[in-house]
Amino acid sequence: MLDISQVYNINFLEEGMLSVIPEAIVIIFAFIVLFLTFFEKLSKSDNPYYLSLISIGFSMLYILMLSGRTIDGFYGSIVFNRFSVFLFIGILFSGFLTILMSKNYIDNFEVPLPEYYSLILFGVASMMLLVSSNNLIMVFLSIEFMSITAYILTGYLKGNLRSTEAALKYFVLGTFASAFLIFGSVFIYAATGHLNLYNIHFFIVNIASKGLVNFGDIKIYLAIGLILFLVGLAFKMSLFPFHSWTPDAYDGAPTPVTNFMATGVKIAAFAIFLRIFSLIYNFNIMDFNNILWMLAILSMSFGNIAALMSSNIKRLLAYSSIAQAGYILVGIIGGGYYGYSGTLFYLLAYVFMTAGAFAVVIIFENFDLMSLDIKKYSGIGYKYPIVAAAMTFFLLSLAGIPVTSGFMGKFYVFSAAIKSRYNLLVLIAFINSAFAAFYYIKIIVRMYMPDKEELIASLNGVQRGGMSGGSDQGKPSGDFGIVNGKINEELMIVIFICLFFTLLMGIYPQLFINFAHNSISSLWNI
Amino acid sequence: MSINGYLIVAGIIFCIGMLGVLMRKNLIVIFMSLELMFNAANLGFVAVSNYLNLIDGDIFVIFVMVVAAAEAAIALGIAVAFYREKGTVDIDKAQELKL
Repeated sequence: MLDISQVYNINFLEEGMLSVIPEAIVIIFAFIVLFLTFFEKLSKSDNPYYLSLISIGFSMLYILMLSGRTIDGFYGSIVFNRFSVFLFIGILFSGFLTILMSKNYIDNFEVPLPEYYSLILFGVASMMLLVSSNNLIMVFLSIEFMSITAYILTGYLKGNLRSTEAALKYFVLGTFASAFLIFGSVFIYAATGHLNLYNIHFFIVNIASKGLVNFGDIKIYLAIGLILFLVGLAFKMSLFPFHSWTPDAYDGAPTPVTNFMATGVKIAAFAIFLRIFSLIYNFNIMDFNNILWMLAILSMSFGNIAALMSSNIKRLLAYSSIAQAGYILVGIIGGGYYGYSGTLFYLLAYVFMTAGAFAVVIIFENFDLMSLDIKKYSGIGYKYPIVAAAMTFFLLSLAGIPVTSGFMGKFYVFSAAIKSRYNLLVLIAFINSAFAAFYYIKIIVRMYMPDKEELIASLNGVQRGGMSGGSDQGKPSGDFGIVNGKINEELMIVIFICLFFTLLMGIYPQLFINFAHNSISSLWNI
Repeated sequence: MSINGYLIVAGIIFCIGMLGVLMRKNLIVIFMSLELMFNAANLGFVAVSNYLNLIDGDIFVIFVMVVAAAEAAIALGIAVAFYREKGTVDIDKAQELKL
């Protein structure tokens, strides 16, 4: 079947290679940053930090240059189209913001290693490969690539028991999920005989049109395979029954890495799920919408109830991210052109609001565990008005209050689900988001209207006492993001970028939703 | 010749690995069980690939083996770091992140 002259086709060099240049730029810079370790002088200064930022800028430029094109690379294993362009931009922003907020954190925790930046860059590259992969081998490889960098980064704080334990739990459950993913692809392969997603798509469309009656074994294999594959992906998306690693991994990981996992890993996992779902799930092999329906409702309800109970801000954001995953899933269930583009819009909005919230968390963090307690936020509305106002805005956006990107995201996602007659689902989602507003607003109330005792304590700066009194002797005290009463510049830049985009997506969403519509239309342009 | 037998054997091996991950307390045994799950999938791929007379499945197996090796490296690194701090590889001792 395969023509030898095609194997040595010059197109392979000219066209196909173009499809991975954005990833290749990031990977090359990641290696350069890694090799800086050999030269003590070069790695001591801020070189790795600036190099990483530059690489992301280059990659972004290249993507904008190529953005209209569709390029198949590596015999259909990788497809560069407008769908991947949209997600590349989200992922690159996630990496960019993570690198910006890492510098201060890494300096303070005294792990001045350039490997950190190189791992973040590898993570970015792997996510980009994941969203543009079009072959089950490629999907598996890039999910593993992404997960392995995330495992290492989670356990990056050497000698920190919480970080190691988070990495341990994340690793065991993440690999468990990967095993499901690959065992699912065995069955998909057994049923269809293809690994390329487009070929699987055509195969399924073909047998679905013939009524599926005469395909006993094939149908059973396909159902088993798709369910196992869904379980594997649901772990990565942290949907409810498969969420158990999320709070622990988010809590124990260094905070910039938590941000990276919450934004980058999540949107990459959702993007590949969206792509695979639209290509091979969405036919009457089984009623997958009902399964997703359950997953969405359970994730929302569980995430919101657990977030209400938690007092640690990182844990609260972790549970809230489980709930947000439920909302995003509503868009995928709603389906069609509008549901999918709403999902993309929500994913991009989610990157900015979450990154902003985590940047604020980093400002007020220090070696003391109590610095992550939400009591810490009492009265910061008076001491640091700009930061508190920004935090308020991000939390309102996560809650879905109008004028923010979170509201527009929820609006697009829910209206698509209404269009497809999932009224009960949307009703439950509405109740959930009203309920969720309660714990987001609880933090805002603390910031502006603290209890009297807490306010006095925070003004005197003895907030850190509390339960774990003298545990941090000999370590520098005070919050990491604040030096002599001034807030760290990089963190302020992150907050302003996030604020800008959250506001822009809230008041002028047409710009982004049109882009999302364009991207989605390329999903079916096979 | 039917493919079902091979897939059933692969499924049984996969379930043994799954039970191992869920029930065992020793970290090293858990890692072994994870490898078992990966290898069950490998068995399935080789069988299907042979049955359908295609080559893709065999290629997938090679990639899975490479990934499994990379994961083993990470796993043992994490296990050593955990042992240094806790003096044990019992997973029940990982209780730091409860609050």
